[in-house]
Amino acid sequence: MASGNRFADPFGRRDMLKGSLAVGGMLGLQACTGGGAGGIASASSSGGRPLLVPMRVSPDQLIDIKCCLRPFRAAGPNLSTEQVGDTLVIHNYGHGGSGWSLSWGSAEIAVGKALSVLPREIAVIGCGIIGLTSAIVALRAGMKVTIYARDLIPRTRSYRASGSFTPDSRIALTEPAGPAFGDTWETMARLSWKTFRTYLGLPAQPVEFIDSYGVSDKPMTRRHDPADPAITDSWATKGLPQQNSEFASYGSRIKDIVPQSVAIPAEESPFAMPYTNRTSIMHFNFAAYGHLLMTEFFERGGKFEMREFHSPGEVATLKEKVVIHSTGYAARDLWKDKTLMPVRGQTGWLVPQPEANYGLRFGTVSIQAKTDGMVIMNNSPDLGEMLGVGDSNEMPDRAPIEEAMRVLAPIFAAMPGRRA
Amino acid sequence: MMRRLAPIAALSPVLLVALALAAPAPVQSASTTQGVYTEAQAAAGAELYGAVCATCHGKMLEGTYEIPALRGRFMGNWGRAPISSLFDYVSTAMPQMAPGSLSAEDNAKIIAFLLKSNGMPAGTKALPASAEALKAISFDPAAAAK
Repeated sequence: MASGNRFADPFGRRDMLKGSLAVGGMLGLQACTGGGAGGIASASSSGGRPLLVPMRVSPDQLIDIKCCLRPFRAAGPNLSTEQVGDTLVIHNYGHGGSGWSLSWGSAEIAVGKALSVLPREIAVIGCGIIGLTSAIVALRAGMKVTIYARDLIPRTRSYRASGSFTPDSRIALTEPAGPAFGDTWETMARLSWKTFRTYLGLPAQPVEFIDSYGVSDKPMTRRHDPADPAITDSWATKGLPQQNSEFASYGSRIKDIVPQSVAIPAEESPFAMPYTNRTSIMHFNFAAYGHLLMTEFFERGGKFEMREFHSPGEVATLKEKVVIHSTGYAARDLWKDKTLMPVRGQTGWLVPQPEANYGLRFGTVSIQAKTDGMVIMNNSPDLGEMLGVGDSNEMPDRAPIEEAMRVLAPIFAAMPGRRA
Repeated sequence: MMRRLAPIAALSPVLLVALALAAPAPVQSASTTQGVYTEAQAAAGAELYGAVCATCHGKMLEGTYEIPALRGRFMGNWGRAPISSLFDYVSTAMPQMAPGSLSAEDNAKIIAFLLKSNGMPAGTKALPASAEALKAISFDPAAAAK
């Protein structure tokens, strides 16, 4: 479908692709002459400006709007165990906006707890990213595994995320999580990161790195939200966080391995904007990655049974006496965990554009190329981590997505090197 | 060993077969669930662990992607076997930068700490510092599971 559009070539993309090829040759020379990391990172034209294919952002390209509720707990994910009758239940839910990112590390913790009683077989409840990775880790450790869930991963809330490596996005509040959680978080994040590395470069790009550009007409500074003394209430008094400063931030603990933003001089920016930065970000392509995980699960002999549970007691009726419980936001009802709070999030999806494989952020709106679509987000008003907190409305809302397109389209239209 | 074998050799072949079937090597008479180390031993082991093992295995025994965790999965690796296997391994292969450099007593202390960290109860008798004695102690999961 993309090739059909290329014939029309409304944005002069063919010229730009030719330009990119010429640039490729120069890149080799740059590398030979010791151009350094900057030279390699940007396939620059003679003017030092990398050429990118502009993204098509218009409502006719919109193919999906996904809305979901992040399962947020002030104290961080529930990784505890409890005995229900003769069944050992190992909880693994409540990862906020960090489920995909922490999944492998969290699965390792849950499966480790299962292994401590050496079961031959276990059950996993839930088939979102946490349940599925828990099941695979258990299979890899030699256990027999049955997943009981009402849906396979494509119809879970996990699939309605944006799917980027964001390991400390709404993962906990600093105070209720306590200092010890930081260490657990770091263990999970590092183990997950290492595991994602094993999926890089595979066919269909289940996990990949892309360049994400941030642009602005003002100098960009790292967001910092000091506590506002005028806000005297907090999660402790209201049951919901009241300001950004309450949210835990652990990202700096792994900055030795996770790429950070670098500023790009205006004359080297692919965009006609005064200020640009670039970050290499890792993300998960749902279709390819989800398929790969399901394939491994079944190839290792995992069983899937479609089933709904309505009370913890029902879980104890399973033949498996060790159960990993990973139902995410649904644990609020199934396990009556009222400490789970919804944090609403929404993404719009445009037709995939493999030739424009990068991301762009401007203020509170962003677009990012993924293999199953261009994910577009409008995180305004600018509330940071507070956006969507306590909001359990899971109905898609098209207006903010169209608004994001209106904000982004002129930036692509003004890209240097584009035919007038 | 020879002293035990000598009188056995004098027994009838039938009895010999019966003995072989009934007694596969030393009888396992104890389980790690029954309190096979002392708190003092585990505390000393924790100090040794911090000084010698934590560099690689982590202060929470969490391991890394490459280095085995000493909790959780640890039971999968070493459970339902005599604790002597673990003692043997630690005595000969660990610490990796200086294998076999710790005394038998120190290795027993470290294993006591690992048992405690894996939910095994302390008791009144210290964990023996010899592989031979540890053959009689089985590393069992805390709770039976299917």
